[in-house]
Amino acid sequence: MAKMVSLDNLLANAAVRRAEATPWLGALIGEATEKFAHVGLPNRRNEAWRYSDLSKALHEATRSESEQGAAPTLAGACVAAFENGVLDESQSTYGAMGARSLRQVLAENASPFASIIGRVNGQPDHPIINLNTALMEEGLVLRVPADVTLATPLHLRFNWRGGEPRSEDGRHLRILVVLEDGARATLFESHDGAPGFATVVTEVRLAAAAKLTHIRLENFTDAARQTAATLGEIGEKALYRGFYFSQGGHFARHEALLKLAGEEAHVGVDAAYMVADRRHCDNTTIIEHASPNTTSNQVFRGVLAGSARGVYQGCVKVAKGAQKTDARQLSRAMLLSHKAEIITKPELEIFADDVKCSHGATAGELDASALFFLRARGIPEAEARAMLVEAFLVEAMDAVESEAMRGLVANCARLWMRRHAGEASHVE
Amino acid sequence: MLEIKDLHVNVHGKEILKGLSLKVPPGEVHAIMGPNGAGKSTTSYTLAGRAGYEVTSGEIGFHGEDVTALSPEERAARGIFLAFQYPMEIPGVTSMNFLKTAMNSQAKLRGEPELDAAQFLRRVRAAAKELNISEEMLKRPLNVGFSGGEKKRNETLQMALLKPRLAILDEMDSGLDIDAMKLVAEGVNKLRAPDRSFLVITHYQRLLDYITPDVIHILSDGKIVLSGDKSLALQLEEKGYDAVINKAA
Ligand SMILES: Nc1ncnc2c1ncn2[C@@H]1O[C@H](COP(=O)(O)OP(=O)(O)OP(=O)(O)O)[C@@H](O)[C@H]1O
Ligand SMILES: [Mg+2]
Repeated sequence: MAKMVSLDNLLANAAVRRAEATPWLGALIGEATEKFAHVGLPNRRNEAWRYSDLSKALHEATRSESEQGAAPTLAGACVAAFENGVLDESQSTYGAMGARSLRQVLAENASPFASIIGRVNGQPDHPIINLNTALMEEGLVLRVPADVTLATPLHLRFNWRGGEPRSEDGRHLRILVVLEDGARATLFESHDGAPGFATVVTEVRLAAAAKLTHIRLENFTDAARQTAATLGEIGEKALYRGFYFSQGGHFARHEALLKLAGEEAHVGVDAAYMVADRRHCDNTTIIEHASPNTTSNQVFRGVLAGSARGVYQGCVKVAKGAQKTDARQLSRAMLLSHKAEIITKPELEIFADDVKCSHGATAGELDASALFFLRARGIPEAEARAMLVEAFLVEAMDAVESEAMRGLVANCARLWMRRHAGEASHVE
Repeated sequence: MLEIKDLHVNVHGKEILKGLSLKVPPGEVHAIMGPNGAGKSTTSYTLAGRAGYEVTSGEIGFHGEDVTALSPEERAARGIFLAFQYPMEIPGVTSMNFLKTAMNSQAKLRGEPELDAAQFLRRVRAAAKELNISEEMLKRPLNVGFSGGEKKRNETLQMALLKPRLAILDEMDSGLDIDAMKLVAEGVNKLRAPDRSFLVITHYQRLLDYITPDVIHILSDGKIVLSGDKSLALQLEEKGYDAVINKAA
């Protein structure tokens, strides 16, 4: 029986880490620990965690009934493989593109990354990011020089085997990607299996005219407990294209905290989540328009079956002076069972007057007439349902430009539908 | 052979069909006419097995089997085809993909081999050409943004490819101009065969000028009140439903 994650333990460990750290890192850890100690592990009394009570989830027993498939492989990609939260050099090839292990970078007395790590779109009061900063050990750092286009994607492969925490403090991973002016790269994160408790923080800093394609594929089993965040700073004319696919877990949350820092920066996020059984899946975004003429577009599509719970919190902030902002968000959910639930919380904080901001949210069941139409043509019910669910998600999938990655995502979606599309309630 | 016996059907707890009986022998074309709300669409949905159309008594015999307990897909596989009064728009599913899935599903349910990709394409192209349906339309999501006429041509295409033993056409002519109606009627006439029967639901004599029925039934208030040859349609056109139905009653 694994021990429960406890605040005292986490703080004691952070103190040890701090004592052993290089001076710059020690200072960073100290700052983060102090802030974290103040708030502790977030629970539903923290507004941002109201519908996703991490503290409670960490005290619950997890069940592991779903089978774990093999972690995906992406032909031609450079790989950083993390097994149970530890970088496995024997399976990794990231060195070929100039990436370095976080462990190495943190150990350096004068790292060029010292001024960046923990500072990308800084969130001084975010309990999980502070916890992650205080305890981060494993991870990866990548800098792409100006005007360089990485021909192959970087595949961050997180694979968790076994449902209990390996360490009672959980595992805290940190990724840093810096794209200099005009650089281009593709980041593919895959998350498989069941972390007992993991936090993953991905910092991405895009300088002028840089372009990052960021694909996240969460394919957890039902015992997984992870909360992740992508922190982004998007410079002038730079472009962040995100695609997030998730199946939830015992507790699975991802926050996209993206700041459009330079003029004409753009953020596009397409997301699809398919959640079944008693799983929990939280997608939270805070898109901050800090410069004029910036645009963002986010579309989240969810399919919920069983007694699953989906959460979408989408906040758009427009700073004073960020005129001509164009921000759109859309949340669409399909509920396949009466016990499934979607909670949608859109928020707008606008301090400029010449802006276009739109948000929409819909939630509905599978269209009974469409289902009958397909069946009346001889298509069996389960298959007809799967077709309609796929049709609902297809736009999100099509947003993935790379055929290989789209294939991996589509494969996960297909497996999910084979298992869950037919189990829906019979409504008419 | 379709043989409906004393069929009673409730929709949302209200009785809509009140003892409908009807026999359509193989190879024949029967028309059902009747005023708005008579139960024509209810009849077609019930035959196709739509949920919510509750058969409270009576039976639907199809080639010697009572199909009332069968699912829509099982009925489709046995050869019952419904051309919808209002064909569904299905975003995200291309016509091509839909046709292929439907044809292969029916083959599978019947225990027949599935078509290979080349065979399938050849058949679809040939049938589409006859109905003036372009390749481009086939690649689009099913019926999305199609005009009324295009949707009905699409229904006819599905019928041509699925080769049913009983085709129920629910107001195939609604929303069509004369040219489109002729095209659809031609499509139907081409499919007339000794082992295939048709149930043509319409309000107007007009369609029956192009698809000649063997028998015309008048449905009113959930029952067939009068059956006769095609001259019945002319009478209706002249005198209206009320007069003809009242005379029959
Ligand atoms: N879902 C429903 N709930 C309640 N009543 C219904 C429903 N569907 C049909 N009805 C009723 O059943 C009756 C028959 O309807 P139906 O659509 O079968 O008529 P129809 O003969 O096809 O008419 P039309 O010529 O207008 O197409 C009508 O009185 C209608 O209001
Ligand atoms: Mg009708």
